Amino acid sequence: MTADSTTTARLGRPAARRTPNGSMGHSARLSLRVKRLLVLVGVLAVWQIAGMFSLPLLLPTPWAVATALYDITFHGDLVPALTSSMKLLAIGFGIAIVLGCTLGIVLGRYRLFDVTFGPYLNALYATPEIALVPLILVWFGFGLGGRVVVVVIASFFPIFINTYAGVRDAPGNLVEVARSFGVATERGLLRRVVVPAALPFILAGLRLSIGRGVVGMAVAEVYLRLGGIGSLIVQYGSAFKTNYVLAAILPLPVLSIVLTKILGMVERRLDGWRTT
Amino acid sequence: MIDSSLDVAKIQLRDIHKDFTWKSKGRQQSTRALGGVSFDIQANEFCSVIGPSGCGKTTLLRVVAGLTPADSGQVLIGGREIREPGDDRAVVFQQFGLFPWKTVLDNVKFPLTIQHIPDHEATARAMEQLETVGLADFAGRHPQQLSGGMQQRVGLARALAVNPEILLMDEPFGAIDAQTRTVMQEELMRIWAQSKKTVLFITHDLDEAVLVSDRIVVLSAGPGSVVQEIVPVDLPRPRWEYDVRAHPAYIEARARIWSLLKQNLTVRVSGAGSVPGRSTEPSGSSAP
Repeated sequence: MTADSTTTARLGRPAARRTPNGSMGHSARLSLRVKRLLVLVGVLAVWQIAGMFSLPLLLPTPWAVATALYDITFHGDLVPALTSSMKLLAIGFGIAIVLGCTLGIVLGRYRLFDVTFGPYLNALYATPEIALVPLILVWFGFGLGGRVVVVVIASFFPIFINTYAGVRDAPGNLVEVARSFGVATERGLLRRVVVPAALPFILAGLRLSIGRGVVGMAVAEVYLRLGGIGSLIVQYGSAFKTNYVLAAILPLPVLSIVLTKILGMVERRLDGWRTT
Repeated sequence: MIDSSLDVAKIQLRDIHKDFTWKSKGRQQSTRALGGVSFDIQANEFCSVIGPSGCGKTTLLRVVAGLTPADSGQVLIGGREIREPGDDRAVVFQQFGLFPWKTVLDNVKFPLTIQHIPDHEATARAMEQLETVGLADFAGRHPQQLSGGMQQRVGLARALAVNPEILLMDEPFGAIDAQTRTVMQEELMRIWAQSKKTVLFITHDLDEAVLVSDRIVVLSAGPGSVVQEIVPVDLPRPRWEYDVRAHPAYIEARARIWSLLKQNLTVRVSGAGSVPGRSTEPSGSSAP
């Protein structure tokens, strides 16, 4: 999802440069869309031709994938799997937000916690989550609990690190201003100055972590095969129904991109003062 | 209000000491910012504090604001000792100190919200102050959309919104360009003439100090600054109605303060082992 947005930006810039006022003109935008569509059509055409000349098992044609997607959407398991996956993601991401923000504020604001807990959190950050998955499932169970922990660990760090940085760099002079006007308690300073000052960082952290959360969700489900998109993928994979595998994978990047876009919109809305 | 408060100065500083300590290469370092500062400010007086940079002017203001505790000595306001910030004082900060995520109006409302004043009343009072500083049309903007001068007007409006008895101003026009500064000095004098507040005004600008003040406290060079002399400015008010700079009292006060500052600088420069007698004037003023 990150790769997609950078590619978009890279493709978008030359077209934007052509108009003198800096904003993309109507025709430029249209031609950009046409170009993108042409790339898609080209890739699909090559894929279709290549698929027709190879074993369907190795490379199913786009048409076969589309048929499979239609099948699992309307007669198959996609909807319940997606519902189950979304539930897992919502719970895991929710916990990651609470945990990431809380720890970010505590470590960012209080030096004692920063120096005592910081190194261990960094060590955990440096450990690939996927290596921990088997252990987490043993510890937290093969039910929803274990899977939620995987999603939490996957999406926790961008939220935590951004909150931490935002709180730590909260301008000290604004804290002074609030104190001079009678904000006397630590809670008041957090609520009125430190957290609002860190909010742009926190929101960016949420946007960055949702994609990782989707990855964590898929990983946990692939390991567990107990419902959700991940288990669907494994299930079709072991049956060698390659076109169904691809059809089940397709919703994942879509989900990731849509959620990232939504969080980006929330960010721009709440965070208008930064860009104006 | 009848008996003791009449003969007691509004702000009394009693032997204020303040050291700053920090660790450098594992060793405890310490420097004395204030080495026993004492002076009084009368009610409704406009009193400036001037001194070479690094002499602890801002530290002094922070002690009076209750933001930094003094190591020893007392700050009495209306005869009562203070140690914390309070509603009787409001600070105007050098770097404006506006909250970038709040609109201009919400910035001005901020201290009123802290005091739990009902929202409609807070809005009315904040708008009134924005009118005073001429920024009512900018109430819905965010601070970073305004120029430096406008931002400091917001800072002033915010301080005035709580209707404090004392206004503490920490080099308020130091970060503003020269032309705007001149305009704002006059505006400040007009506002002060109407509202009659007790003002403690920190500045490093000699001309600014003489222009706005009733009395000027000259601090000696740090470390361990003390009051070197208090220079009265006997210029008639309102001062925007005539050419203040041509007035004999202006020239006299300016010359006196300049000679005091120059003494400080000479002592400091020769003390540091540099060429004696070669001194630099504080910024924002020209040679007398």
